[in-house]
Amino acid sequence: MTGWLRHQKHALTTALKRLLAFPLATIFTTLAMGVAISLPSGLYLILGSLNQLAGDLPTRPEISLFLDANASAPQKQAITARLKQADIAQARYVSKEQALSSLGQTQDLSDITAGLTENPLPDAWVIRPQASSRDGLTRLANDLGKLPGVADTHLDSQWAARLQAALAIGTTSVWLLGSLFAFALIATSGTAIRAQVLARRDEIHVSRLIGATNRYIRRPFLYTGALQGLLGGVAAGGVVALAGWVLRAPIAHLASLYGSTFHLHPPTTIDIAVVLGLATLFGWLGAWLSVSRTLRQVDSSR
Amino acid sequence: MIQFSQVTKRYPGGHEALSAVNLSIDKGELVFLTGHSGAGKSTLLKLIAAIERPTSGVVSVNGQNVSRMPQRAIPYLRRNIGLVFQDHKLLFDRNVIENVVLPLDIAGFDRRESLKRARAVLDKVGLLNREKSHPVGLSGGEQQRLCIARALVSRPALLLADEPTGNLDAGYAADIMAMFRDFHQVGTTLVIATHDDRAISALGGRTLHLDHGKVEEISA
Repeated sequence: MTGWLRHQKHALTTALKRLLAFPLATIFTTLAMGVAISLPSGLYLILGSLNQLAGDLPTRPEISLFLDANASAPQKQAITARLKQADIAQARYVSKEQALSSLGQTQDLSDITAGLTENPLPDAWVIRPQASSRDGLTRLANDLGKLPGVADTHLDSQWAARLQAALAIGTTSVWLLGSLFAFALIATSGTAIRAQVLARRDEIHVSRLIGATNRYIRRPFLYTGALQGLLGGVAAGGVVALAGWVLRAPIAHLASLYGSTFHLHPPTTIDIAVVLGLATLFGWLGAWLSVSRTLRQVDSSR
Repeated sequence: MIQFSQVTKRYPGGHEALSAVNLSIDKGELVFLTGHSGAGKSTLLKLIAAIERPTSGVVSVNGQNVSRMPQRAIPYLRRNIGLVFQDHKLLFDRNVIENVVLPLDIAGFDRRESLKRARAVLDKVGLLNREKSHPVGLSGGEQQRLCIARALVSRPALLLADEPTGNLDAGYAADIMAMFRDFHQVGTTLVIATHDDRAISALGGRTLHLDHGKVEEISA
């Protein structure tokens, strides 16, 4: 084994011993870091699940065309003819009877629909247009809306587009929050390491007198910071898992009310590796920023 | 081995601990530094180990100009110098053998080899049966011997001792001085700051007397 490797191993075991020597301090720092990491990680997971839900929605926009209840037969024929033109890819007729029965089935509203004396739903066409640009879709929806016998048109992609936009803001917020908490993590690690350096000033002084290099003195503190970060990452995993477990039933309940099978997706192995890796990195970084500064103070106080 | 030429050390505040000191110590010599406290004995030792830098003049150890040595080279200089302190400077959060092994850990020695050497040197200072004890449980004389063991474990060519028997009663002091004589006999260069006249007369060797920052050779 080379001297370098021996030094690394020695520093690592020293770091472990130091963490174990003050279990209470280690636990508190771990919890503080865990909470800081779990917030952006948890939000990231929720957003990921929502993104998957949004991804299941029809990506190709649809226009719903609701017919006037008093539309005459010639008007209906004219509409049918219009929908055979080239700018319409596909058109599907949904009669009000069909609409009512599917409503009763899918969203468990049979109690309500059964109590209706007459069908309040309109006949409708579900249209898949050729155009996919927002302008083209809006124009087509407006054109169709002006046809006689049409009560209303509804561009179905709007809801999906709005959700996508909201999720994009959410993603940006997660990154923002993640960056802020990265600073918190670095600061937490730095403070913990500073306390350790100050507590070991005698040892540092003696080590210098018998030939310790700066690197030798710094190394165990850097390992301590990295290990502390890793522990923080593991704690965050625990917090997120706990939160996920607590939220599982309420989310399933809410989803069932919407007739959805939505659930929170657990993190992938890569997600976990990235969070643990970043937590380790930021713990190390905090230690690195703090140890050099504090060592200079310790040395100049002699 | 050690040369001082025109070395002056002035501390902030104006106190001049050494004034234009010239001296030369050869390899394998046993040298005592005497003088009342505050005469500059500790300062002289600190300059040799580059713990402090001279205000002016040149301190050279083994041909290296210690007074101008870059900060990053100093650890390697110190690994060749054994330091014995009056206040021992032991680490109380670890046991006897871990204290002795520290210089070898720092130098990157193999762990098993380090422990072997640490035990050998503990045997030499008579503390082998205390290797698992903690320094707090040792008497003053034992603590001093532990400090000496730590200074010797890396087999330095030069040993600097600052009042090694300062806090010890006569019996312990004689033990420690006898130990120093043994090291001198195997070729180690020793510089010992002390005002223990009995020890000096018992061991013989060269004596440098410091008075108000000036060095004066005392012939035996």
